[in-house]
Amino acid sequence: MTLYLRAFRTAAAALAVLLAALGLSLPLAGADLQIAVHVQAAEVVPVWDPSDGASGEIALMNNVYEALLRYNAVENTFEPILATSYEKSADLKTWTFKLRQGVKFHTGNVMDAAAVKFCVDRTIARGRGSAYIWGPVDSVEVVDPYTVRFHLNMPAPLDLIAAAGYSAYIFDPAYSDSDWFNAGHDSGTGPYTIDTVEGREKVIVKKFADYWRGWEGKHFDRIVFLTLGEASTSRLMVETGKADFVESLPATDIEALRNNSAVRVEVNPSLQNLMVLYNTQREPLDNPLVRRVLSYLIPYEDTVKVALGGYGQVARGVIPHGLWGHSDRVETFTYSPTVAKALLAQAGYPNGGLKLFTTYPAGYDDIRKTVELWKAACAELNIELDARAMPTAERNAIARSPDPTKRQDIYLLYWWPDYANPDSFLSGMFYSQEKPAYNLCYYKNPTFDALIDYAITLPAGTPGAIDMMVELQNMLQREAPGIAVWDMQYLRVTASSLKGYVDNSAYPNVVFWYNCYRE
Amino acid sequence: MWRRLREAARRAKRNPLTVVGLLMVALVIVLAIFAPWIAPHPRDIQVVHPNDLFRPPSLEHLFGTDEMGRDILSRVIFGTRISLRIGTLVVVLALAIGLPLGIIAGTFGGLLDEILMRVTDIFLSFPPLLLAMAISAALGPRLENAMIAIAIAWWPWYARLIRSEAVSIRERAYVEAARAVGTSWPRILLRHVLPNCLAPVIVQASMDFGSVILTSASLSFLGLGAQPPTPEWGLMITVGRTFFLTHWWIVTFPGLAILLAVLAFNLTGDGLREILDPKAKRW
Repeated sequence: MTLYLRAFRTAAAALAVLLAALGLSLPLAGADLQIAVHVQAAEVVPVWDPSDGASGEIALMNNVYEALLRYNAVENTFEPILATSYEKSADLKTWTFKLRQGVKFHTGNVMDAAAVKFCVDRTIARGRGSAYIWGPVDSVEVVDPYTVRFHLNMPAPLDLIAAAGYSAYIFDPAYSDSDWFNAGHDSGTGPYTIDTVEGREKVIVKKFADYWRGWEGKHFDRIVFLTLGEASTSRLMVETGKADFVESLPATDIEALRNNSAVRVEVNPSLQNLMVLYNTQREPLDNPLVRRVLSYLIPYEDTVKVALGGYGQVARGVIPHGLWGHSDRVETFTYSPTVAKALLAQAGYPNGGLKLFTTYPAGYDDIRKTVELWKAACAELNIELDARAMPTAERNAIARSPDPTKRQDIYLLYWWPDYANPDSFLSGMFYSQEKPAYNLCYYKNPTFDALIDYAITLPAGTPGAIDMMVELQNMLQREAPGIAVWDMQYLRVTASSLKGYVDNSAYPNVVFWYNCYRE
Repeated sequence: MWRRLREAARRAKRNPLTVVGLLMVALVIVLAIFAPWIAPHPRDIQVVHPNDLFRPPSLEHLFGTDEMGRDILSRVIFGTRISLRIGTLVVVLALAIGLPLGIIAGTFGGLLDEILMRVTDIFLSFPPLLLAMAISAALGPRLENAMIAIAIAWWPWYARLIRSEAVSIRERAYVEAARAVGTSWPRILLRHVLPNCLAPVIVQASMDFGSVILTSASLSFLGLGAQPPTPEWGLMITVGRTFFLTHWWIVTFPGLAILLAVLAFNLTGDGLREILDPKAKRW
């Protein structure tokens, strides 16, 4: 009897877990309410403060907050949002923005030039997340209630910066306490405002009645942002009409879904790559030779084939394909165990014997597969990658530990541009930082810093600017504080009834839900 | 001795499920010991094959290949080593803590018993998997840490079991007699109490082997145990679940391995109870 009872209990428990996993408690659409469901793989809002973000909150925040402009990465144009127009001086050091009148924050207060100045000053002062994008800004001047002028200490593309997907949001100065934000509140101007927060994995936003564009036409009333680590559950949801947008699915699912009329599959270009950052401050990776050894041991072609299912390409330099500054003139590593072995001996480790503490984000299959391929290649030279999948907060605590001995040897992360400029890939990860934010290779090179400072003063996309980007990337290639492995493509899956969705690689994973409707 | 063994064998034969269980356990042990020679592709515990991704079961790969092109059969066979190691280490560790505490509490009674049992109760108040998850999360996601975490969650059950046995044994005439003739307490514990507590402990340990394998697989499934590419069954399932809608074999075979291993140890445990406790009724 005991055996039967035990078996019955086990079966009952398994069934309960399965039902709980599949029977997600989603709000039911009322008779008139249009509700969309946006599924993402990681936590919905890792950072609530609009000044501080640089992570997965981008999808929700860009529907709740707005910036002065929005950049269209495909057409290389700017859409006026909170600014109606702007002018720049010939030396690119003075930028004047005319603001839209009659825009209200979700708090009911009116957006004006003073609010813009407050937000930019606050973001710069806090210095968190992607705040570095405002680096060239010397001061912000309120010219009149609806005109704001930025004075820069060097020429810079301020239109791109003001259109950034992070740290460029404008919010109500009267409601800007960090604790208040962290309690799940917002004070943005976007079409939607926070309605319900259910833990880290579900946030519902509702439409803001006084939104400046109005609510004529077809729009969703509420958007449910949902975290689902389980790709198979995400797939089932979109197939059965319980989700409208799934951020990403494995390549194997994409192939299977192509013939399903209930869903639409899009393969879109991205500006996202996989970065490997070596700890340049600690043995043995303080030796550039060892860093190069590891870089020669990545089976690049296989990672694209196995990890991305072919939906991507081997990186060439840290600036991804599709963004100016990417160039075939950038030197690159190739998979070469022979070269690696020779360099390893040259570095003083002829028999290997290295053990390297490696962290990578949990829940991302393409990164896990890449690590497994790399780990197998390293094992051939008696190098052990002690690789651990960890939640972002946990591994960032290790990476930013005040005690350098507690930090990892190797840190892997996705990188996408904070603003659509190669500077994001160079400054964000390699510019010297006293307290590491995302320079998690802890790289300090005054020459590199000086060259970046000069490079961003050059007009974007011009031959001179591109030459500088090539030189900077080649410098990184030689010293190898960090390398890019692959540039990925986005595999978007949407319900076929969803209309109005346009992928914009300048805002990765963002659906501008105001533009979407169901038909 | 021989007579006892013959009697045990006779009882075992009366219950065919026990024989099946013992045979299955023997198979698991043989697979674990000879894995490098039995597995058709022994290098596949680490080496990947980009040209052999997602191959369905065939003569070349009886269980198919996984998302990295590795032979699943080979990985399942190597997984028996990990599961056995986890089962053995956890049970030994849990016994190493629970056995002395249980015997001391049961034999000496009084305040010492009260203190030890209340501590045990605190640990027992948490469901084992939940406690193991909390400890494992605190220690970091590694197989070794998962084993420590499960052992910490497991010892109180042994302490309780052994204490209850010891309480009944300390009242027996032969223990009273030993005390009357001045036998020292350590000798009484080792010569009289401990040997007579062992039968239920052996039964419980054999049953727990299966539960420990299941708990360890659960921890790995939740990302708190073994790390890729370790061929741990729970981890193989958690990695393969992404593909189960399109490639069923990746999760099915590790799942079956867990099912059969747990079943083997449970059948053996039930059988052992019957053999070691003749009074026990057959179900």
